[in-house]
Amino acid sequence: MKDGKFLTLGIETSCDETAVSVVADGRGILSNIISTQIGIHTQFGGVVPEIASRRHLEKINDCVDRALEEAGVCTDDIDLVGVTYGPGLVGALLIGVAAAKSIAYACDIPLIGVNHMHGHIAANYLEHHDLEPPFMSLVVSGGHTNIVNVPEYNRCEKIGGTRDDAAGEAFDKVARVIGLGYPGGPKVDKAAREGNRDAIAFKRVWLEPGSYDFSFSGLKTQALNYLNTERQAGREINVNDVAASFQEAVVEVIAEKAVCAAEEFGQKRIVMAGGVASNSRLRELISEKASARGIEVLRPSPVLCTDNGAMIASAAYYAYQAGERSGYDLDAVPALEF
Amino acid sequence: MINILALETTGKYGSAAVITEDGRVFCASSETEMNHLRDIITISDEALKEARIDKRELTHIAASRGPGSFTGIRIGVTTARTLGQMLGIPCIGVSSLESLANQALERASRESALYIAPVINARRHQTYAGVWKACFTYGPDEGTVIPVFGEKQYMIEDLLELIISDAAPCGGKVLFTGDGIDAYQDIITEAFVSGGVSDQLVFADEEIRYQNAVSAARIAFRNAAAGQTVSYNDLLPEYMRLSEAEQRLREGTLSDKIRKAGQI
Ligand SMILES: Nc1ncnc2c1ncn2[C@@H]1O[C@H](COP(=O)(O)OP(=O)(O)O)[C@@H](O)[C@H]1O
Ligand SMILES: [Mg+2]
Repeated sequence: MKDGKFLTLGIETSCDETAVSVVADGRGILSNIISTQIGIHTQFGGVVPEIASRRHLEKINDCVDRALEEAGVCTDDIDLVGVTYGPGLVGALLIGVAAAKSIAYACDIPLIGVNHMHGHIAANYLEHHDLEPPFMSLVVSGGHTNIVNVPEYNRCEKIGGTRDDAAGEAFDKVARVIGLGYPGGPKVDKAAREGNRDAIAFKRVWLEPGSYDFSFSGLKTQALNYLNTERQAGREINVNDVAASFQEAVVEVIAEKAVCAAEEFGQKRIVMAGGVASNSRLRELISEKASARGIEVLRPSPVLCTDNGAMIASAAYYAYQAGERSGYDLDAVPALEF
Repeated sequence: MINILALETTGKYGSAAVITEDGRVFCASSETEMNHLRDIITISDEALKEARIDKRELTHIAASRGPGSFTGIRIGVTTARTLGQMLGIPCIGVSSLESLANQALERASRESALYIAPVINARRHQTYAGVWKACFTYGPDEGTVIPVFGEKQYMIEDLLELIISDAAPCGGKVLFTGDGIDAYQDIITEAFVSGGVSDQLVFADEEIRYQNAVSAARIAFRNAAAGQTVSYNDLLPEYMRLSEAEQRLREGTLSDKIRKAGQI
C-alpha cells in the first residue's frame, strides 16, 4: 500500500516482450516497463524461442527494478504480484513465473497467475476508468480471435473462436502472398485505404448459423488463386484492391459476429483487445454496425493493445478481489485455454 | 555469519539445500522428474524449515548455473536472482560439473579415483564435461578437486581420447559420473577396453551420479567465505552452447524455410 492505494506488480514474459508494471487499485498505471526483443529476432525472421527465453532471464530483474523505481515505490509497498502463466512460449513464460513466485515468497505477498488473454481484455480497465462489466469482448491478435462474454470482473466466457488461423495470422499470410511483407497487419491496413474493397469477391466464411466461430485459412488460398488467374490472363494486379477486398472479408465477419453476440447476450458495450483492434476498417465497420443497434465500442490505445505488464497487473487485481489465489506450485501452461 | 540457500535444477530432479554457519546441510528434493518450476519454491521452503532458518536470515543465494537442461538452468538461476534481489543479498553461481565432481569425491578414496570426469549428456554424442584431479593428500587441498581439462562441450569420443591418452597413463583410476553415463556407458567402456586400460575405469554409483543441491551448497559455502559473490543481475547461466538458431546464423546455414517458420 502506498498513499492508501493497493499496489499490484504485473509481470509479462509470454513471447518477445519482457514487461513489468506497477498498477494502483487495478486501474492507475504507475509504471509500465517494456523491454522488447523485436530487434534481436528480426535477423531470424521470427521469434526464436530459445533466444527469447535467454533474453527474458537477462532482463527480468532489471525490469522489476525499473518498474519499482519509476513508480516511486519499494518492494515493501507491493501488495500483490500477478504474472502471465499462459498461453505463450513455455521457455519464455517460465522466466516470469519463476520471478513472480520468488517475489511473492520473499516478500510474503499473494500471487496470482493470469491468463494472458484475460490480460488483454483488462487493458481496457486501464484506459477507460469507468468501464465495468458486463460487456462483450472481441480479442483479435496474431495468435487469437475470440468473442468473449464478460459478465463480471474475473469471469471470461469464450463464446466463439477461430477454428484455424487467427485474424492477425491471416493478415500476415496474405500480406506475404501479395508482397507487402512484415508486419502484415498494418501494411494491409494502409494499402487497403487506397484500394477498392469490392474489386475482388473474397468469400465470407460464416460457418453454421448462430456460430460465433471463425475460419480464415481459406482466404490465403483464395488470394493465391486470384493472383494466379490474373497472372495467367496477363492482367496487372492491383495490390491495393487485393488488400482492401481481403481485409473487408475478414473484418466484415468479425464485426458482424461481435455485434450479434453483444446483442444476443444483451450487452451494451463491445470491448476490443489485441493487435488487430488497431485495424482502421475494423474499427469503422464495428462502430457503424454497433451504433445502429445502440451498442458502444471501446478499445485501448495502441501501447496497451500490445503485450505489457500493466494489463496483467489489472487482471490480477480483479482476480484477487474475487478471492482467487495461486499457490507456490504455479506452473507455466503454454497452451492455456481462454 | 553464513546461511546459504542453494538451488540445483540443471538435471532431472530438482533440489534445494541450506548450508548454515556450522557447515551443516539440509536438503529437500523434488520427487518427480522435470517439475523444477512447479516445485522450486516449495522445496526451498522445506529446506529452510529443516534448517530452522528464516528466509530473512539468509546471507546468500546460490544456484547451479549449468551446464545441463537449458530450461532447468533458467528456473534455478531466475529464482536465485529474484530471491537475491528481493532479500537484498548477494548471489553465487556454481558449476554443475564442479558440483558433480565434488559430490563424487565425497564417496571416493585414493584407490577408487585419481581423476574424476563428470559427463552431462548433451545428446547426439555431445557432452558437457570436464576432468578434475582428486586430492587426498594431507594439506590445504585435501578433499578438493583440481581442474585438469577445462569444462566445455566435448564429443564423447574426443573426451575419451583425451582422457585415455593424457590422464590414464598416470595409472590411477578414472571415475566417471553424471547422466552422461546413462547415455554413453557402452562407448566409454569400449574405449577403455580397446585402450587396454579397462582396469582403470570406474563409474559412480547411481545415488551420487546426478546433480544435487547439497554439493552446490558446499561449494557456495567456500565461495562465500572467500568473498566470491555476485550481484543478482550478474548471476548468469552457463549454457555452454549457443542456441541452434545462433549457431546456424554463424555458420550461414540458417535456411530460408526455417527463418520463415521462425521455429528453431
Ligand atoms: N492495423 C492492423 N490491421 C490488421 N492487423 C494488425 C494491425 N496492426 C497489427 N495487426 C496484427 O496484429 C497482430 C499482432 O497483435 P498482438 O496482439 O501483438 O498479437 P500476439 O500477441 O498474439 O502476437 C499481428 O498479426 C499484426 O499483423
Ligand atoms: Mg499478446
